[in-house]
Amino acid sequence: MLQHFPLIWKNSVRNKRRSLLTIVSIAASLCLLAVLGVLYHVFFLADAAPEQAQRLIVRNKVSLTNPLPLSYREKIKQVPGVAEVMIYQWFGGTYIDPSNFFARAAIEPEKLLNVYSEYKVPDDQWKAFVADRSGCLLGRKTAERYNLKIGDRVPLIGDIFPVNLTFTVRAIYDAYRDNENLLFHFEYLNESMRTSGQIGRSDLVGTYVIRMTGPEHAASISRAIDDMFRNAPLPTKTETERAFEVSFLAFIGNVKLFMMVISAAITFTILLVAANTMAMSVRERLREVGVLKTLGFTQGGVLSILMGEAIVISLLGGGIGLGLAGLLCRGLSGLPSTFVDMTRFTLTPAVAAGCMAVALVIGVVSSFVPAWNASRRNILEALRVTD
Amino acid sequence: MSEPIIQTRGLSKEFARDQFKVVALNGADLTVDKGEFVALMGPSGSGKSTLLHLIAAMDRPTSGDINVLGQNLRGLSESAIAKWRNAHIGFVFQSFNLLPVLTALENVELPLKLTKLSKSQRIEHARRALELVGLADRLDHTPRQLSGGQEQRVAIARAIVTDPDLLLADEPTGNLDAVSAREVLTLLGRLNREFGKTVVMVTHDPHAARAASKIRYLDKGALLPEGQQPEDWEVR
Repeated sequence: MLQHFPLIWKNSVRNKRRSLLTIVSIAASLCLLAVLGVLYHVFFLADAAPEQAQRLIVRNKVSLTNPLPLSYREKIKQVPGVAEVMIYQWFGGTYIDPSNFFARAAIEPEKLLNVYSEYKVPDDQWKAFVADRSGCLLGRKTAERYNLKIGDRVPLIGDIFPVNLTFTVRAIYDAYRDNENLLFHFEYLNESMRTSGQIGRSDLVGTYVIRMTGPEHAASISRAIDDMFRNAPLPTKTETERAFEVSFLAFIGNVKLFMMVISAAITFTILLVAANTMAMSVRERLREVGVLKTLGFTQGGVLSILMGEAIVISLLGGGIGLGLAGLLCRGLSGLPSTFVDMTRFTLTPAVAAGCMAVALVIGVVSSFVPAWNASRRNILEALRVTD
Repeated sequence: MSEPIIQTRGLSKEFARDQFKVVALNGADLTVDKGEFVALMGPSGSGKSTLLHLIAAMDRPTSGDINVLGQNLRGLSESAIAKWRNAHIGFVFQSFNLLPVLTALENVELPLKLTKLSKSQRIEHARRALELVGLADRLDHTPRQLSGGQEQRVAIARAIVTDPDLLLADEPTGNLDAVSAREVLTLLGRLNREFGKTVVMVTHDPHAARAASKIRYLDKGALLPEGQQPEDWEVR
């Protein structure tokens, strides 16, 4: 087969326009397939980061928009295996323009670094943030994106919470992931709600973040917390941080099925395109099949040469598609990691290998029938075909 | 003493065309000795190409025996025939049939890819074959960059590159001008005389047939006895 590669290669690029169009369509499809594969991997298959595996999220069982009472915090703290419990209240709001999107949340500063051990903050900045109730802690990425420095004022117009808050940037944190948040004192939000007459909405919390003594306790802690509040007016749902992230996808439906259907549709469509190209390509060269067989090529030899061309085109398209997907993933990984850790958007070897396998299958399946029929042709019948 | 290289006995070939049965070759008894240059002549539809295709095992006879180079072709499988053809037969087509994507050198190298020769050996053999047909300076030319006569010479180089015992040519000058045709016939004659190749050539051109040492005529599917021509051949 390898010794026929020069012939296979030259035949593959014989009709340059057709080959190019086929390669481009396969590349575009495989690129899309690879990005879907990366998304699927990130959402459903990738392991949690080590620090993330240490954390659980407790929220209202009914919905994320329903709060939990502040009083749950101390009860949760008593559950064996819980090392720390911290309030995490999504604030939302608008920073200057609605398109300026990054996570803004109220937390308990003194507990933050105990729960999010991957956050790195200079000591002096950290102390300044803890000491200033209207101070905020800003992720490095967001600080750079909006050119915010220590001492700058950050006004937020509330939407979920009907209060406008203004913060002073007191600290900037670095983290290998999730470094785009604006975090501020929960007490500041709670007080603002009280003073603005929203007493009914004070002392309520959106979620609690738990740091466990070890990830092996995840199941037992989750069960214990949910059992504790099962008959309470506001029952809880406790899950790993990773599962919590993925649950955001459920808002837009059965993402898993959706991605699988899209992938199947892409593969099927490109299979039809490739099959049509191969059928045309083989039909044009039936006479050459007769010549090859006259020279002593067997049916198997002719079959492998004809199929080899389709495989070369498919793999070329697949390779280019993967390159594009790699670039796309690099671009996506720079997007805000508000709900999903976008830094994980990289083309993994498994996804790349899967896509190349799909390209190979497209090459084999699209060419098999026309190549098989051509290779079985009687020499004289093939030679009689006019160009 | 002459050594028969091709022997056919009662060789027949019938085709089905719609509901009709067409007898293309009817009981041909042909013997070609080693080193002969035989021209098969006859009018269109006389069965000369059919006989040539059966000798090259490009087609199977309906009945009769065919023995080429000591091999009974009727008993061989398709893949065995392919290997046998690669090793023993060189075939020259009327319309050259070079692969347009390959250079002259690559076209000539093609049959050698089915042998156990190394890449460098294959190139060396192909180069020598092209030198033999006078195209040493056209190695990297594609068929489109060659004249008809040159294309046919490349095709002859491809046919002889495996050093076959038998060279079969189907109207090799049919698509050529007079000068190129003469060159090709001279070449075939040289391969026969200097290199001892047995040549069987189908032609309906009396000038081309003169290059052969023996002419056999076919008419309406029948191979006529040696020395006999179709009745109105000269008129035609």
